[in-house]
Amino acid sequence: MAQPGSLPPAGRHGAGILGCVTSAAALPLRVDAIVVGSGAGGAPVAARLAEAGLEVLLLEAGPRLSSSDFTGDEGAMTARLYTLRLASGSGLNLYAGACVGGSTVINDALCFRTPPEILDAWRREGGLESFREESFAPFIDRAWADLAAAPTDRAHLNRNAHVLETGAARLGWAAHAMARNVRGCSNLGLCNFGCPTGAKQSTLVTYVPRAERAGARVVADTRVHHLWLEAGRVRGVEAHRLDPTTRSPREAVRVEAPLVVLAAGVLETPAILLRSGLGSAAVGRDLQFHTSLHVTGRFEEPINGYYGPTMAYAVTQFSDVNGSGGPGFMLENVAVHPIATASALPGFGEAYARAMAELPHLARALVVLRDRSRGVLGVDDDGRPGIRYVLEAYDRRRLRDGMLAIARAFLAAGALEVWLPLNGLPPLRSERDLDTLARLLFEPSAASLLYAVHLFGGAAMASSPLRGACDESGQVFGVRGLFVSDASTLPSNTGVNPQITIVANALRVAEGIVAAHPRAA
Amino acid sequence: MRTPTLAPAAEHALREAAAGLDRRSFLRLAGAAAALGLLPTGCGRAPATLAPPPELALAALTPRTYAVLNAAAMRLLGPPAAALVAERRVDPARTTDAWLARVPELRAPVQQALLVLELAPWPIVAKLRPFTRLEPAAQDAVLDDLMRSRLEMKRALFKGVKSFACLSFYAAPEARALTGYPGPFGGGSDAGRAAMAEAMRYPQD
Repeated sequence: MAQPGSLPPAGRHGAGILGCVTSAAALPLRVDAIVVGSGAGGAPVAARLAEAGLEVLLLEAGPRLSSSDFTGDEGAMTARLYTLRLASGSGLNLYAGACVGGSTVINDALCFRTPPEILDAWRREGGLESFREESFAPFIDRAWADLAAAPTDRAHLNRNAHVLETGAARLGWAAHAMARNVRGCSNLGLCNFGCPTGAKQSTLVTYVPRAERAGARVVADTRVHHLWLEAGRVRGVEAHRLDPTTRSPREAVRVEAPLVVLAAGVLETPAILLRSGLGSAAVGRDLQFHTSLHVTGRFEEPINGYYGPTMAYAVTQFSDVNGSGGPGFMLENVAVHPIATASALPGFGEAYARAMAELPHLARALVVLRDRSRGVLGVDDDGRPGIRYVLEAYDRRRLRDGMLAIARAFLAAGALEVWLPLNGLPPLRSERDLDTLARLLFEPSAASLLYAVHLFGGAAMASSPLRGACDESGQVFGVRGLFVSDASTLPSNTGVNPQITIVANALRVAEGIVAAHPRAA
Repeated sequence: MRTPTLAPAAEHALREAAAGLDRRSFLRLAGAAAALGLLPTGCGRAPATLAPPPELALAALTPRTYAVLNAAAMRLLGPPAAALVAERRVDPARTTDAWLARVPELRAPVQQALLVLELAPWPIVAKLRPFTRLEPAAQDAVLDDLMRSRLEMKRALFKGVKSFACLSFYAAPEARALTGYPGPFGGGSDAGRAAMAEAMRYPQD
């Protein structure tokens, strides 16, 4: 291991851990490739590089858990599996997975091909020729097959999904069941807390074991702080081993590799680049989300929406991709677990408690907005990331319209009352109530819960360093051997759940690395 | 005690003063106001009934913010929740403390928000005494004022405190029982297993 005195400068935030570099028995000192992050953007790369014969080290900041650790307990699993950041500007909560497998462990297993309009925009506006539909389709096909994505049949649509389906049908809206990546789903309703049966084909049960079978080494509880750089190329990473219980940094370590692939997600990858003093002015810029909020309806009959696939049905009537000419949002049913429902229900006190007591009779759906707003990620003097994201008026209007559309669908399906996620607003009971809200000015701070789990950008691919952080191959401009393969490289949001797009792009980046690597088989 | 509501003129002045501030700056401003307002809002401790149990070593919250969170949760989540918290069968503040211990970046903003709720005086928060020392109706009035405020950052304060109250209260199995949720895997009961089956059957089937 290099001595602290010989460490190269690593940007203005890099010096903080140099003085405490210690031995790390669990880590190799030198490998062919380091992949940072084990979710949809990282694990496929680790598997492909290992299968090509490279010695791969896969580092993950979160803990490594297995199906038997997933108890289904909403509170305990949320604390163990999620990371939460607050974005200033519009009060958005940003969630991501924080374990081996990343967000694929806690997502809803929904699969969409990248819409042609999105690929076309990346090619036309960003000059990214690799995203021609015919060029990118083979990677989507491979991701689809690797994750066992398949259409959802009626045996896996629960009552919660059925409510949205019924409402959409009565209103004549375009809607369909969404494809999911599961094998032998038992309808437990626990997708968001780690699948206890291993049915969900997260990277934890697909690409991570594949990488290990090919010889990759997976080390959890290790947070990469910054990169080790020298003369225009990457030489490795510097990281903190974390205490598995407190998550506090325990010791600093350094691993050398001529190839580093960042896939730590939108909340971390741009921050690592910034802490390393790297990247063009585009690093940390152009964050874009799918902002979401939940609407809740109460029905006469029991829904028991905490059981069954957490999400499975989408209203695409208002989408602006895949040939739909709508305003740009989708509506999707979403599980009715106690904490999530309590957070989204508006108001407080007795009326609030009465609504929570009706949990078995509640159905829920969410708006997935294809935001037009863009945000920025920066790091403070201590290297801690902060995000600013202001929802522009156009997005706020569409969030309002999305909420009202769900309310309309629930009422059409027979809801007795509907709660919009707006504190201070009483429940709606008729179409007439909706009419009075059609011109409502949606204020984000009035929302009981406003959040995003689909995060994009911050280290976008582009045709020049003036416009992005990485070139089309995913390599960071000006740094040989350093690649980014997660959603932070995507130039915009996708308008659909992005899991397949992220995996497909990671496979594409990996293929490019393998093709150019002198030692890859 | 009658809690004063925020006069429109005062709220307007506050809105003007806060224009351009982000939430962190607002909390700092309100924290400073809280410090200045220690006399009118009272320097006394929170009631002993809200104090953390002696065996609990707090990792992130202070005894004061521990008390504020549980007091707020009791009003926010309604009477059945208040009873469970009062009987110490569910302890949202203890759960929040454990979570904050694992998420250091959230400690400061949560502590600040709880201190503002407790100590900030009128006109920032519509009260003249510490939140934990108000009567339940007065506490409701404070929360209602925050929730309906025209000032964005007061609504954000309400939202933040409520989020932690929800998150930490409903994490407890005893709290979930109030909702009718049998628990994961049907909660091991026949009724839970029946509910699982019912969830996958359409009413018309």
